[in-house]
Amino acid sequence: MLTTSAISVSNVTKSFVNAEGQEIAVLNDITMDIQEREFVSIVGPSGCGKSTIFNIIAGLLQPTSGSITVGGADIKQSTGHVGYMMQRDLLLPWRSILDNVMLGLEVKGIGKKERRDIAMSYLERYHLEAFAGAYPSTLSGGMRQRVALIRTLVTQPDIILLDEPFSALDYQTRLVLEDEILSILRDEGKTGVLITHDIEEAISVSDRIFVMSKRPTYVKKTYDIGLSAHYGSAMKARSDVRFKGFFEDIWSELDIQMGRVG
Amino acid sequence: MANTTTTGNTSVASAHVAAKGKSEFVRKRQAAAVKAWLMVVFWRLAIIGAVLGIWEALVRGGAINAFLLGSPSAIAKMAVSMISSGQLMEDAYATVRATVTGFGIGSAIGSLAGLLLWFSRTVSRIIDPFVVALNGVPKIALAPMIIIWFGSGIFSKIVLAAVSTFIVALLSAYQATHQIDDSQVNLMKSFGASKMQIFSKIIVPSSLPWIISAFRINIGLALVSVVGGEFISSDKGLGHMIFVEGNLFNLPAVWVGVFTLMIVAAVLYAGVSMLESRLLPWSEGKSSKSPSV
Ligand SMILES: Nc1ncnc2c1ncn2[C@@H]1O[C@H](COP(=O)(O)OP(=O)(O)OP(=O)(O)O)[C@@H](O)[C@H]1O
Ligand SMILES: [Mg+2]
Repeated sequence: MLTTSAISVSNVTKSFVNAEGQEIAVLNDITMDIQEREFVSIVGPSGCGKSTIFNIIAGLLQPTSGSITVGGADIKQSTGHVGYMMQRDLLLPWRSILDNVMLGLEVKGIGKKERRDIAMSYLERYHLEAFAGAYPSTLSGGMRQRVALIRTLVTQPDIILLDEPFSALDYQTRLVLEDEILSILRDEGKTGVLITHDIEEAISVSDRIFVMSKRPTYVKKTYDIGLSAHYGSAMKARSDVRFKGFFEDIWSELDIQMGRVG
Repeated sequence: MANTTTTGNTSVASAHVAAKGKSEFVRKRQAAAVKAWLMVVFWRLAIIGAVLGIWEALVRGGAINAFLLGSPSAIAKMAVSMISSGQLMEDAYATVRATVTGFGIGSAIGSLAGLLLWFSRTVSRIIDPFVVALNGVPKIALAPMIIIWFGSGIFSKIVLAAVSTFIVALLSAYQATHQIDDSQVNLMKSFGASKMQIFSKIIVPSSLPWIISAFRINIGLALVSVVGGEFISSDKGLGHMIFVEGNLFNLPAVWVGVFTLMIVAAVLYAGVSMLESRLLPWSEGKSSKSPSV
């Protein structure tokens, strides 16, 4: 069967120059191929360079070497080809919740009334319509994160990058939103990439998981999971007999990595 | 209250109550705030009354020279006569008009120029030393030249106030564009935003608090420049009046001028504060501040 790749990262490296002028290698030869309609997760030790990978895929950072294609096109020097929910919610404090949600639609030139209707319908779906006129400073961390998620979804991107989207949420909300995201991706035929520290979350939602090494990072191991695709639900995936085995495998892979000195 | 009926959706219900803001709790807190503020006003008036009372008593008792210092009663008498002749209003109006106009022009052009520098790092690097040098010059030193070029009427005072405020506005707006959170710019880029969209949706609004706080400095600077210009050469204005009456040793009139300047300064400052809360509705804590004059 012929599948097209949504994101193709080939031999990408990235180094930063720190304040002392030393070169710090962060990405050490990353190659990832993510298929259309696939939902993959990236797990790895803190500070290994996961967000850096997303910044490069989104076109916000240039790789030191290597190439990236998104939807078959080389993304050198371009942006706007993916929906990117960043690690920080980055709600603009001077905009109301509704205006924050409409930001991407505004940039894309959607008319005033239309973008308002779209944004309101999403806010209603996530039970945040009562806060449409509120400023972000009055919302809890979890609510802010949901607003940031909505802001990413309203522009209806084909590819969605989620950098720890649920970290500020309570366990129950997190489970509900995992399923919600899954069904959005599946129903609308989108491709999703999720960065998470939560191994259980990665197993319950993903088709595949990339386990990253510590910095300078590379793809240490790839796991084929597919539980959520099989059950059609992240919550049901958690009760599969293979779940525990996957968890232990990935945990030890990460554990060895974090325990190693040098 | 009647509106706390359970509607099933608690977040909606609580937002509703908050919007009405009429609960017992809120009313009590508001009453307490008003009481605290009245207390502050009372003590302020008491201090003013005490100073004036002691001053008057010292003059009456002959402890200080009424000719060199004036006395509250003589000042009051002078104030009444200057108000009824219309002279005081005319002078105050001339000063306020020049101050507000010069402040408006200088702050607006300066802020805009400072913001636009965001577009070109090269241009900002080139002009940086000039701006710093100009900022170091006490603007009143430019007054003789500006009066020669623009005459001794109100126009030269407007120009003086505009020049003084322009530099401060430019510098603060320019520095504000350097305080931008890069991640917010990245967020815009991730949506595919153009440089112009980033400017209008991120750079301008996030610089606004810095720009407005420069307004607070600038309204005072504008007043100082106008009054200074009036000292040097003019046909009306509070500075002109104080200068002329001072040369005639008419101390009560000088005091009337000084007190009027204080009131003018306070009113202008309050106006800028109002502008601030109007332009920055999202910044919390501003509205709960006691109305300070
Ligand atoms: N602009 C930059 N300049 C210099 N160093 C950077 C820059 N951005 C990231 N780094 C460094 O690169 C490394 C990887 O950062 P990154 O944010 O990608 O890690 P991460 O895996 O997302 O971490 P976390 O799990 O904590 O979110 C870190 O050591 C960070 O200090
Ligand atoms: Mg990160």
